[in-house]
Amino acid sequence: MSDDTLQIEVNGQTLEARKGQRLIEVTDAAGITVPRFCYHHKLPIAANCRMCLVDVEKIPKPVPACATTVMDGMVVHTQSERALNAQRAVMEFLLINHPLDCPVCDEGGECDLQDTALGFGQSESAYVENKRTVASKDLGGLIATEMTRCIHCTRCVRFGEEIGGIQEMGGTGRGEDMRIGTYVERSVESELSGNMIDICPVGALTSKPFRFTARSWELKRQPSVAPHDCIGSNVEVHSVNGKVKRVVPIENEAVNEVWISDRDRFSYLALGHQDRLQNPEIKENGSWRQATWEEALSAAAEGLKQTAADQLGVLASPSQTNEDYFLLQQLVRGLGGNNIDHRLRQGDFSSNAGAGGQVNINAITALQATDLVVLVGSNLRKDQPLLWVRVRNALRDHGIKLVVINPKNYDLTIKADATFIGSPVQMANDLAGIVKSLPDSAALSIEGWQDSMATDIHRQAAELISSAEKPVVVVGNQAYSSDNYASLNSLAAMLATQAGAELIELSYGANSHGAFQAGAVAHGLPGGAEASQPGLNASAMFEQKLSSYLLLGIEPEHDCWNSSAAINALLAADQVVVMNAFVTDTMRDYADVLLPVAAFTEQSGSMVNLIGDMQRFRANVKPLGEARPAWKVLRVLGNHLELDGFEYADLKQVTEAFVKAQEVTASVATHIVPRLSESQQLTRVADAPIYAIDSLTRRTAPLQERADSVKAAVYINQATATAQKLEAGKPVTVSQGKSSLSLDWVVDDLLSDQVVYIPAGVVGTEALGSMVGPVTVTGS
Amino acid sequence: MSAAVKYLRSLLMLELLAGLALTLKHFFKPNITVQFPEEQTPMSNRFRGLHALRRYANGEERCIACKLCEAVCPALAITIDSEERDDGTRRATRYDIDLSKCIYCGFCEEVCPVDSIVMTRHINYHAEERSELLFDKAKLLAHGDALE
Amino acid sequence: MDSLINAALSVWQLIPVALQTVLVILAQIFAIIIPLMLSVAYYTYAERKVIGRMQVRVGPNRVGPFGLLQPIADGVKLFFKEIVVPVKANPILFYLAPVMTIAPAMAAWAVVPFQEGVVVADINLGLLYVLAITSMGVYGVIVAGWASNSRYAFLGAMRSAAQIISYEIAMGFALISVLLAAGSINLTEIVLAQQGSALHWFALPLLPIFVIYFISAVAETNRAPFDVAEGESEIVAGFHVEYSGMTFAVFFLAEYANMILICTLTSLMFLGGWLSPFEGIPVLEGLFDWVPGFIWLFGKILLIAFLFLWFRATFPRYRYDQIMRLGWKVFIPITIVWLVLVGAAVVAELPWWFD
Repeated sequence: MSDDTLQIEVNGQTLEARKGQRLIEVTDAAGITVPRFCYHHKLPIAANCRMCLVDVEKIPKPVPACATTVMDGMVVHTQSERALNAQRAVMEFLLINHPLDCPVCDEGGECDLQDTALGFGQSESAYVENKRTVASKDLGGLIATEMTRCIHCTRCVRFGEEIGGIQEMGGTGRGEDMRIGTYVERSVESELSGNMIDICPVGALTSKPFRFTARSWELKRQPSVAPHDCIGSNVEVHSVNGKVKRVVPIENEAVNEVWISDRDRFSYLALGHQDRLQNPEIKENGSWRQATWEEALSAAAEGLKQTAADQLGVLASPSQTNEDYFLLQQLVRGLGGNNIDHRLRQGDFSSNAGAGGQVNINAITALQATDLVVLVGSNLRKDQPLLWVRVRNALRDHGIKLVVINPKNYDLTIKADATFIGSPVQMANDLAGIVKSLPDSAALSIEGWQDSMATDIHRQAAELISSAEKPVVVVGNQAYSSDNYASLNSLAAMLATQAGAELIELSYGANSHGAFQAGAVAHGLPGGAEASQPGLNASAMFEQKLSSYLLLGIEPEHDCWNSSAAINALLAADQVVVMNAFVTDTMRDYADVLLPVAAFTEQSGSMVNLIGDMQRFRANVKPLGEARPAWKVLRVLGNHLELDGFEYADLKQVTEAFVKAQEVTASVATHIVPRLSESQQLTRVADAPIYAIDSLTRRTAPLQERADSVKAAVYINQATATAQKLEAGKPVTVSQGKSSLSLDWVVDDLLSDQVVYIPAGVVGTEALGSMVGPVTVTGS
Repeated sequence: MSAAVKYLRSLLMLELLAGLALTLKHFFKPNITVQFPEEQTPMSNRFRGLHALRRYANGEERCIACKLCEAVCPALAITIDSEERDDGTRRATRYDIDLSKCIYCGFCEEVCPVDSIVMTRHINYHAEERSELLFDKAKLLAHGDALE
Repeated sequence: MDSLINAALSVWQLIPVALQTVLVILAQIFAIIIPLMLSVAYYTYAERKVIGRMQVRVGPNRVGPFGLLQPIADGVKLFFKEIVVPVKANPILFYLAPVMTIAPAMAAWAVVPFQEGVVVADINLGLLYVLAITSMGVYGVIVAGWASNSRYAFLGAMRSAAQIISYEIAMGFALISVLLAAGSINLTEIVLAQQGSALHWFALPLLPIFVIYFISAVAETNRAPFDVAEGESEIVAGFHVEYSGMTFAVFFLAEYANMILICTLTSLMFLGGWLSPFEGIPVLEGLFDWVPGFIWLFGKILLIAFLFLWFRATFPRYRYDQIMRLGWKVFIPITIVWLVLVGAAVVAELPWWFD
């Protein structure tokens, strides 16, 4: 027995515990049931529900197990007369004001209070007076409230403080007058707010979209993997009669702990959207008609056969399954081409190194253990909410320092210790300044570097970084879409190497790592081997205006770096085959064949998350209408094209082929020598906002009503607006090269000078060009 | 010896005559048939007959679509779909009882928290097609209204 | 009135003599067939009522007062039902079979006297004729079973044939005892041989023969407990499983007509036919002198007919091997033995039956 372990006795059973552990953690680990409401193993201790009272020898009164630290030789009885009496009494008090409306309560059947009352309460109450009632609060479109049911466990309050980072819920009043609410009338806008539904032990907070549509016991519960970000959150899909009713998290400490983001939780609502493509369709003489699969696939194959291999461009969304990518690249390469890519929003292809190419298996553990985080072009809190939870965990556990290099001073809920706000060019310069201020950095070659560029604040930041023990450098979505991404990434890599930090490269989509491993990039073959003849990358495919395109799961007007170039290229193409779960009017303009494919929860497959876990999942419900999983469509398309190696009998064989392809030695992409430049031009910066990243989130109505859902507009700080002579309340004209657009403008003083932020992926900005690049804004 | 006696006795057909005597005796006994439409057998107070959905006195249907009856039904005869109504309450958009599955155990009545589904003492009903045995919400409510 | 009768007679005179004979015979036939059919109809009604009572039920009581119109309703129903001919059946034989069954059941009535002289054909070989004609009925059953091309029907027909033929022997021996006792095979004379009170009836001296004859008759008509030919729990409905509508109704009529025939013959041969049971008894004879003979006959027929129903309500169906055993190993030996005894009694002119 080492120094920090000790022994206690619970119900006659000897248990080992670590010093400082709470009693309830020890009993939970041993499988001894202690009833509780306020205690949650991911939240701080409050000990205000008193349900977990247990009997400890030599202590005259029952003590709460959640707030009692273990002591060596402690003798505990969780089922003794005194403990049970205490629990029964607490239960009776809790039920005094709890309404008996289980039949109309959505929590009914999965309610902690119901279960605990059954197990530890009594069948009758002595209370005959009036119960109190509490007015329900409007918390927005995701959470329905019934505050009369609240038992004041304060889990939601503590969740907001500790996990969400903003205290949105709180308690007012005392005793019977205590109310849980938002202090002033406003909605809960955290990107993790849905988790309050899960942790609420009663029916006070329930899911608003799910409200009254099913009862918990009739749901078919199957595991799946969330399709929106590279975390690959483990979720459980609940369905009734082939209709998805809700999505809840599955606990996986290595990936998502017990949380999932709101977009993972609610994006299922888009599955029944009116835009869903339910039948194969063919365009004949300019008008669309429904077709059988056989007709549609023949038409697609016919067109693909007539296209020269180097004139075929294949683009897939970064959230497809490994199997989809593998078959897609097999198809392209079987036809003799190499033009395949999934890096739709990457702004700079001058280096093959970048997000998705390299798996960092430590990414999540490093963030949890870090003492310093450097964010390079990342709004980590909104872009990857669950990674930001890890950062907050680190802050809670041991405190962290934060260095931020961003085009906008994002509200991260943690105060940064060093903040560099500037345009992408300026960001590269600031990063270079920090790198060059680190010890032993003289030998690093950075094109355009002058020693005069390093200032005191760079040196202070460098000092912070070099004194940190476990620093982490995160290169985020803002950097990914920048037109100097290769330089930024290269500088970040230098910083990581010099400071001994973990480098985390982030991008959009749930499976960019899988895409790289399957070879769904122009320069790479399956397993990461170098392609002998690299094809065109995502941007080049549109710039060069190929004659034929095959699109899988993307809406180019929203999902591509240069949306106007994409649309122009597609409209000019001879043939465009679209495989998508959704169909839009724009799609009907440029496409020739529409093939409906299955969406999230409707297909089986596997995805690789940022720590390299290949997570397999099975379809939960049948695809809508005639839609089929993309891998099946691709397999049959391969047969129609008479390509070799498309004789897969089932998904397992495709997965095996994908796994087998990983046995080759991956070539490691090298970073380029970073280039710095001085640019005083006004630059557009953009990202796809949290609820505009993919087809599903864009069609989820409740998410679109969130405060985080950014509307199409020109965001600009007051100083720049004044310099550009913009008039308040009047729309402005934005021009990027040939494309121009009239938009409203909004003052956002968190933005740097010299940049305007115009979001991509949202309705209203499709006509603009590249996400990051020179822009002119003129008052009309 | 006894075999011979047995054989001779069998020639007397005594067992057969005993049987005939028994049936003849019953021939003269009063019969026990209940002439159904004119007469009814006495019915227990707890008799479980055709289901009905009840309403409150103000005409509001009682059912809150809690689906406990659906869950408890051992024959899986009940199907309920629910939806949030405009006034924020949960209501059944569909409440079907398949009487060809129902075993009249009465669990649904017992489990109903609002006394909405009840089993009446009505037994005189029939159907000429299987589809008529699928009682939907309107039919059940109408039955309840007729008896209320 | 007289003029009317005279007119009718003059019309009758105009008809050729040969045609007159035919018309008279037709009239006689109808005079028997129509009441017979009505009797059959109400025998089915009686059966359901009696068995109902014995099972402490009510029986049909919905159609007409006391359900009296039930047989009519059944008849109408059967008449309007579709006649289904199985695809692989032999249609000619299929339609012929019910006719072959009912024809003997009707024809046998030709020699049945209802009172002295009240008979269609008072032939001397009456008993032989009856025996011959009733044996013909089995052809209908076999043809029905074969023509249906159904294994149930065929099995039923085979059972039926074997059973009828087996019991015919015992029946024949029983009848020989009767003709021996009566000294004639003319049915009228057999009845007249039983003159005197009920004690003079052949039922008493020929008691075992009476019993055996009756039981054999039940077997001959395929009635419970010898209804293995139908055996609804084993072979659905036996030989007439494929029959529906009127063809089925004809089988049904034949079965019941046969039953009534058997009842009548039993009355004639063993229960003194139309003779009053009180003949020769000083006071009672005078008291019942006014009762016409056919009423006594009908009374006796009803009694026997009730027995048929009573049996059906009482006895479970015999196993097939038990039927065969009963017929061959019990009835035939007993009838032979009794035949010898009766012969001896006749030779010895045993009073007072054979004196």
